[in-house]
Amino acid sequence: MKLKSQLRFHLRWLALAAAGVALGLGIGALVTPVPAPVGTAFDAVPFYRLPFGPDDAGAPRPFWPSRMQAASAGFADGAALPSSATCAACHRREFDEWAGSLHAVAGNERVYEATEDANAEVGRNGAEQVRFCEGCHSPGTLLTGRANRFASVMPHEAELEGVSCISCHTAIHADPETGNGALTLAFDRAEIEARGPQGAALLADPRAHLAAFGAPDTTALLKTGDFCGACHNETLDSSMSLVPDPGVAVQATHAEWRESWYADNGITCQTCHMAPDPAAQVMRIRDGDLRAPATVSHRFIGSNWLLTDTALGDSLMILRGGFLPGVDAALGNMTAGAQLEQTRAFLRTAAGLELRESRLDAAGLHLHIAVQNLGAGHNLPTGVGDQKYMELEVVLRDAAGREIFRSGGDEQGPEGSAAVRWMEEFVDSRGRVIPDHITFRTAAVRWTRHGIPPRGEEVVPYDIALPDDTAGPFTLEVRLLYRLARPELILSNLHMRVDVPFFALAELTATIAGDGA
Amino acid sequence: MRALPTLLIPALLAAPAATFADAPAPTAAETEGLASVRAFTLEHSTALATEAAALRDRVAAYAGIIAAHDGDYQSAWDADGATLAQAIRDIRANWLATHNEYETIEGIVAGLPRTADYDLILDAGNPGTEDDDVADYDLTLPDGTELHQPGNLFHTLSEPVLWGTNPDAVRLAVDLDGDGAIGAGEMLFDPNLALGAAEGLAFWTADLQAQVESWEPTRDDAFTAVVTMTPTIGDYFGEWKDSQYLGGVGESFVAQSRLVDVAGIMNGCQLMYESAISPVLAEAGDSGLDAVIRSSFGQMLDLVSDTHAREQAGESFSAEEADALAAESQDIADRIVAQVLQAAARYDVTIED
Repeated sequence: MKLKSQLRFHLRWLALAAAGVALGLGIGALVTPVPAPVGTAFDAVPFYRLPFGPDDAGAPRPFWPSRMQAASAGFADGAALPSSATCAACHRREFDEWAGSLHAVAGNERVYEATEDANAEVGRNGAEQVRFCEGCHSPGTLLTGRANRFASVMPHEAELEGVSCISCHTAIHADPETGNGALTLAFDRAEIEARGPQGAALLADPRAHLAAFGAPDTTALLKTGDFCGACHNETLDSSMSLVPDPGVAVQATHAEWRESWYADNGITCQTCHMAPDPAAQVMRIRDGDLRAPATVSHRFIGSNWLLTDTALGDSLMILRGGFLPGVDAALGNMTAGAQLEQTRAFLRTAAGLELRESRLDAAGLHLHIAVQNLGAGHNLPTGVGDQKYMELEVVLRDAAGREIFRSGGDEQGPEGSAAVRWMEEFVDSRGRVIPDHITFRTAAVRWTRHGIPPRGEEVVPYDIALPDDTAGPFTLEVRLLYRLARPELILSNLHMRVDVPFFALAELTATIAGDGA
Repeated sequence: MRALPTLLIPALLAAPAATFADAPAPTAAETEGLASVRAFTLEHSTALATEAAALRDRVAAYAGIIAAHDGDYQSAWDADGATLAQAIRDIRANWLATHNEYETIEGIVAGLPRTADYDLILDAGNPGTEDDDVADYDLTLPDGTELHQPGNLFHTLSEPVLWGTNPDAVRLAVDLDGDGAIGAGEMLFDPNLALGAAEGLAFWTADLQAQVESWEPTRDDAFTAVVTMTPTIGDYFGEWKDSQYLGGVGESFVAQSRLVDVAGIMNGCQLMYESAISPVLAEAGDSGLDAVIRSSFGQMLDLVSDTHAREQAGESFSAEEADALAAESQDIADRIVAQVLQAAARYDVTIED
């Protein structure tokens, strides 16, 4: 039989088969449930206020003054967003690590919450202006429409978790130049997976899970420093403060890194802060080994050791805002303890002190003390600069052990102290210092000293007048002290006396001969 | 004293038009509920004004005794110690009665834009130390001293004077209870400041009573009061934490535990909900939601009363425990408010800010 004859012979059956397939596909399309639309239109959440108006192009700005965006152009449904505890079913190690982190409690720990409440009291739109804070601290609150004077959206677990799993693993865009939370999050992907036919049954359709949380755009973004920079660069301007436009950068952690040797050498935020052993990682880099760690940790080790301090007992979990979903006392203590240990070790890798010069003359003893940034890929200190500060404690004793000079180490805080200090000061419109982080009242920002850049140093001179009856050799004790918050912040906003002790980043002891050498 | 600012410019928050279709018509139950809320508020605001007037008279009598001794406190105590001690006991009891009448209706008064300024003047406003929530009135004392924005009458002015936590108003430490020792709060106080404050209370409570008398409550009022005041519960726990009941050093909330106030305020919210809002939900067929909200109110008030009972039984609370209780109560309140707001949107209710 020739080929054409064969075709003619089978044509009818082929056509029938094709029609059957088409019919099957059509029926399939009809019976397959159409995924329910996800999210809620911006104008469909009752009583949601938009006091800041549209942008220059006329588009609504539901999350302003946070620069965060929702990929879906609508609010997410909090009830459909998976709690990080859900992720723990398969990603146990990551969850346990994250549960001790500051990211986990960023939106719920008591110091933040009390400070947010204090800011919300400022001005008529304070309750909406805190969207500025919530973007980075609690995306689950912001993107579900809960940051509002009258919150008509039901509370949900995702808002308890601060920077949760989905806060990062749905990110599709970051703009570190803008900062102030300039991330675009595709929470709709999480909702789509949750509402798909397989629901939470991941094994029924792993591709849906991958599409939700492992999409190529997200995976690529999560490896970059730019992703972190969207929140770790912060500018105060007229949108959320009294600082005139174009504003002033009050947190520039990412910008500091971008200009540094670390960025030039491909060392990202994740290289150190997500290393399984961050202190060891920094020491390797200091020794010239620039390789990234083979695995990552979700502890996001930084500088806040106080909110991991298990010595606080039950108070710790209360300060952290209570137990997160999926975390009990045993896990909470275990993971906070590990976080504390790593944080302390990490902080000890950041700085160094050197006595560069000591000279004695008729006017007294003259010292030059070098404060070095040895291990931080950003300025030292960095971050919330009106609260997190660094100061030098210098103590000089004579041969008899008598203290003849002391500067720094002021437990009462910076007010009225003349210590050498690296910090920002927020000031109000009357020029008064705002010690309790009331961002919305801030009219200007000034620095006692700017942070020390990566691999940089600052030499601090001391001219110490010596009493007539003193004699060397002298003993010099220097500590570079770091504090997480001004005492006034805790007292003013939290109405509690919580000790915020100094942490010694570096120490130096030297003996100076009677001739000053 | 100047008149209460009467120009209130409420920002009207309208719900989306698409949700207006289900607004149920007023029913007899709702109308009766609103009337009962008004009657309740009027009854207690009348009692409040009466108690405040009596307080003024008692403080005036105390001031008279001191004046009869030409302001010599030691001489007054030596001559009329027993009378002064009894007068102070009566004044304090009267103050508590006055204050508790107010707390009974605070959840309603403070939640309504038309009366919210009275709450600032009487109970909650600051003396101009913050940009917002200022007790915006002036007070003239009997000696002619003019006080500009002196703070709220109950907790900034009168309570610290009458209980001796305002050291500037303490005139002579005395053994008020006759137990041979002078304990905290045992003193003769400044009659000028005390009488000025008491006169202020009498004036402003009478003014509030007149406002309530002319009030015709609406569905919008009911929803506004509930969604405004219910979520403030966490703040009150915060004030409880700062008070001397938990080892704090605050001058205010020394006369009785702040938990008494919390109970009063939240009972007012519950009353408003059950009397005036619950019938609306019932008429609209939202009985399931109504049951959930009722249950949540019950939970919240149980939490407050259990905590108060524990405190009265002698249990001491740490600041951290107070924070945990605040968080728990706030969570319940947030759920109530979200549900009431969702209902408000469905029923074409305007929430006044």
